[in-house]
Amino acid sequence: MNQPVAAGQTEIVIADPIAPGRRLFGHVLLAAATLLLVGTALLQVLDVAGIAPVGFLNWRPLLYAYLVWAVALGAWQVITRGYIGQRALFVLPAALFTLAVAIFPTLFGFYIASLDWNLSSAEGPHFNGFHNFVSMFHDAYYWNALLNMGFYLLAVIVEYAIAFGLALLLNAEIRARKFFRVSFLLPFMLSPVAVSWMIGKSLMEYRFGPAARLARDLGWHTPAFFAQPWTARIAIEAMDAWVSIPFIMILLLAGLQAMPKEVTEAAKVDGANGWQAFWRVTFPMMLPVSVTAVLIRVIFKLKLADIVINVTSGGPGGATDTVSSFIYRVYRDRSNVGYGTALAMFYLVLIIVFLTVLLRVTRHWTRSVND
Amino acid sequence: MKPDVYNRIMAAQANRRAMLKGAAGLGALAALNGAGLGAFTRPASAAAAGLDTELRKKILQIPGVGKGSPTDADYRKVGELCLGGTKQTVKEGELKGVELTFMGLNNQNTHDFLFRGFLHPWEEYTGAKINWIDLAQADYNARLQQAISTGTIDWDMLEMGAPFEGDVCGRGLTSEMPDWVKNLIDMDDYVNYLKAPVGTWDGKLYRVSIDGDTHNFNYRTDYFSDADLAKAWKDAGNKSEWGVPKTWQEVQAVTKFLKGKQVKGQDAYGYLDAPKPWGGFGFYFLGSRASAYAKYPGEKAWLFDVDTMKPRVNNPAWVRAIQDVIDALPSEPPNQINADPNETGFAEFLGGTGSMVVWWGDVGAAAKTSDSSVVGDVCGFSILPGSDDVYNSKTGKWEKLSSGPNYAPNLAYLGWGIYVMKKVDSDEKKKKAAWSAAAHLGGKDLALWTSAYPSGFQCYRNSQHHIDEWVAAGYDKDYITSYLDSQFNSYNHPNGAIEPRIPGIFQYYSTAEDILANIFAGKLKAQEGADQIAAAWEKLTDQLGRESQIKLYKAALGM
Repeated sequence: MNQPVAAGQTEIVIADPIAPGRRLFGHVLLAAATLLLVGTALLQVLDVAGIAPVGFLNWRPLLYAYLVWAVALGAWQVITRGYIGQRALFVLPAALFTLAVAIFPTLFGFYIASLDWNLSSAEGPHFNGFHNFVSMFHDAYYWNALLNMGFYLLAVIVEYAIAFGLALLLNAEIRARKFFRVSFLLPFMLSPVAVSWMIGKSLMEYRFGPAARLARDLGWHTPAFFAQPWTARIAIEAMDAWVSIPFIMILLLAGLQAMPKEVTEAAKVDGANGWQAFWRVTFPMMLPVSVTAVLIRVIFKLKLADIVINVTSGGPGGATDTVSSFIYRVYRDRSNVGYGTALAMFYLVLIIVFLTVLLRVTRHWTRSVND
Repeated sequence: MKPDVYNRIMAAQANRRAMLKGAAGLGALAALNGAGLGAFTRPASAAAAGLDTELRKKILQIPGVGKGSPTDADYRKVGELCLGGTKQTVKEGELKGVELTFMGLNNQNTHDFLFRGFLHPWEEYTGAKINWIDLAQADYNARLQQAISTGTIDWDMLEMGAPFEGDVCGRGLTSEMPDWVKNLIDMDDYVNYLKAPVGTWDGKLYRVSIDGDTHNFNYRTDYFSDADLAKAWKDAGNKSEWGVPKTWQEVQAVTKFLKGKQVKGQDAYGYLDAPKPWGGFGFYFLGSRASAYAKYPGEKAWLFDVDTMKPRVNNPAWVRAIQDVIDALPSEPPNQINADPNETGFAEFLGGTGSMVVWWGDVGAAAKTSDSSVVGDVCGFSILPGSDDVYNSKTGKWEKLSSGPNYAPNLAYLGWGIYVMKKVDSDEKKKKAAWSAAAHLGGKDLALWTSAYPSGFQCYRNSQHHIDEWVAAGYDKDYITSYLDSQFNSYNHPNGAIEPRIPGIFQYYSTAEDILANIFAGKLKAQEGADQIAAAWEKLTDQLGRESQIKLYKAALGM
């Protein structure tokens, strides 16, 4: 057996001598569990497909078979590989859980995306290959929503700039700094749905909203914030930004506070003014935090839906529609499960590709700036 | 929709005195309502109709108009007093051991909340027990469709709107109504449009109605009795008298005329459209503009060709209705394109903006009773405006009827009903329990109470049209007469535009809403957009199964 390893010593793993009988038992155990899993799945598939009435009332037995198989897999690791197998148990549950709740649903999602499945259809779901994806390429409303996402994504740059300014302000030695920190965070604590109603449907209401009245006082006689495409887009973006800028700000503030003060002080000693100190010292040093903050914000932005659904329903004429709000309508109002899933899956792939590229570019950029 | 109304009614019960004072301005109202559109039948009195007036009077005093919102105790009292039908058909304790699951809505403390109270004495008497599945309205369609699609129907009784009958009854999932229930709930008392084919499929009856729905026309009496506007109208060269529009052509003319005018120091507006999508429900509002153009007398279909399911939404009648909206929007409030029906009816019209709006009965019910309404004393009602001409889809020509303008009330949504699922048929005792509970909720006397108090349900029986009962309960006579006439004259209209109760009907509506939003935003011409809607509907029909849809559409229209 392995002995406890003293501090500073390198652990040497010696494979347990596994008896052939024990190893065989492990293999048989796993094979039996695998047979159970595959057999359960097969019976249920045959039943659901109408080939043979040999399945169960529902798919739940397959879940139980999976759990049995997962336990058998762990046991097999320990029985056949000894100590090395025990180490695998640290990772295996998490891996199997991920498989069950993330990887399998994603793959299943691609299967659903290949179905012509409208919940109201008398014929039920049936396989139609890539037809949903082909339809998607001809769906002007989906591409309009994607185009709008471009605008919303570009607006993240503005959000970042404002958030950086606020973070610098809150990092400075100003009065009531703690009060302002909490105050600036408040919008982030609000539900976007509440913001939709408080701001979009109340403050900005055309007839009696205070924002509309102020706009009238300032000379805009018909302050209909959501009647024209660009004003509506900007109004929606402003609301979303108001909620989310504090999130970027707090990440940047944490970065600023973690930054060694000696560096900025040294810059001052060397004669750098505030502008130079920011661009030559603070901004480059904050790049890793900035990239993280912007990336997280981009991910959130790509899911924008609640404010749009509540305030404009995507209008006027699709001007504020987002991919998520469009998919929401396809699902909720039109019960078009197959097509809606195809839209969501394509969007998922787009997001993964986009974020991967963005990460690589920013990593390269961060390196070059800091070098 | 309706839950708002009844909440408003209750919120305003404290204002009942103010409401009763608000009879001023209604003198002209009855004349306006009756003159143009004609009153249909109205029973003389409840006593003459052979109703149990004592019982009805008694339940209307629970808790009493102006005495605050009803509580669960009140629901139970009403349920207890209305238990007569149950006692006729079920022996005490006969259904002991039966458990039923009921799926319905929990909108703003109405629907299921009332059913629980109404059914509590029924449970005590029969011995049966009911378990509840409460849903928010937004979740209703998804829950229903998913359960049907995945074969996981976990309820025995269902509160459902008639538009979903295609999805449920059309698939043979509901239990056929036994004869003893038909006798118990007096279906002859239903308003015309809720009689068969509504609630039926292939000649079999499935539904116990508990609610009625129609769009009516709500207008401002002060606008249309304003001397300055009348003079300006004449000065503008109009030959007709200034008054409440009776056709959509007049609605358009008045809406354009009012642009830039002021009434009582405020900007005046005419008709209020509801262009913003509203989960499919917004399409009803275009339907109300289109029905007089598209619903040809004597022909049941107006949305699809019955033999092919070819959409009519791009025919000249519908395109004219779409064009009307496009033409009217510049004369409506600047933010109108972002107004959904809820905002149009409640925030705008009841808030004093605009002079004409189409809605379900909720707007009229709330006009006097809602604290936020400022138009209670100046609100009038009629059935939907007509049209000088009507499109005959068979000849492809517009026709002027010798009888005058064509009227076609949009009987939108058809109201809620109670349905029993087929799965209870295998257990006679359970089946009897389910139908007994459904009959109890669909009783004639209970119906009067639910329409007079916050419940989420409106009139659906002719016996609810006895003005004397409403007046005795505390309503202003002229006002309630005008309002109820607008409802019942729509319900019983011979040319009512019936909802196509086919599977996925809200998918059609929702798809149309997206395209209409683009039309109203100026991205598409009316005909171009209508053609897109028609193409999308054709695609949807193919996806849902054309032959099946044709069959179900015919069944829905009783053909």
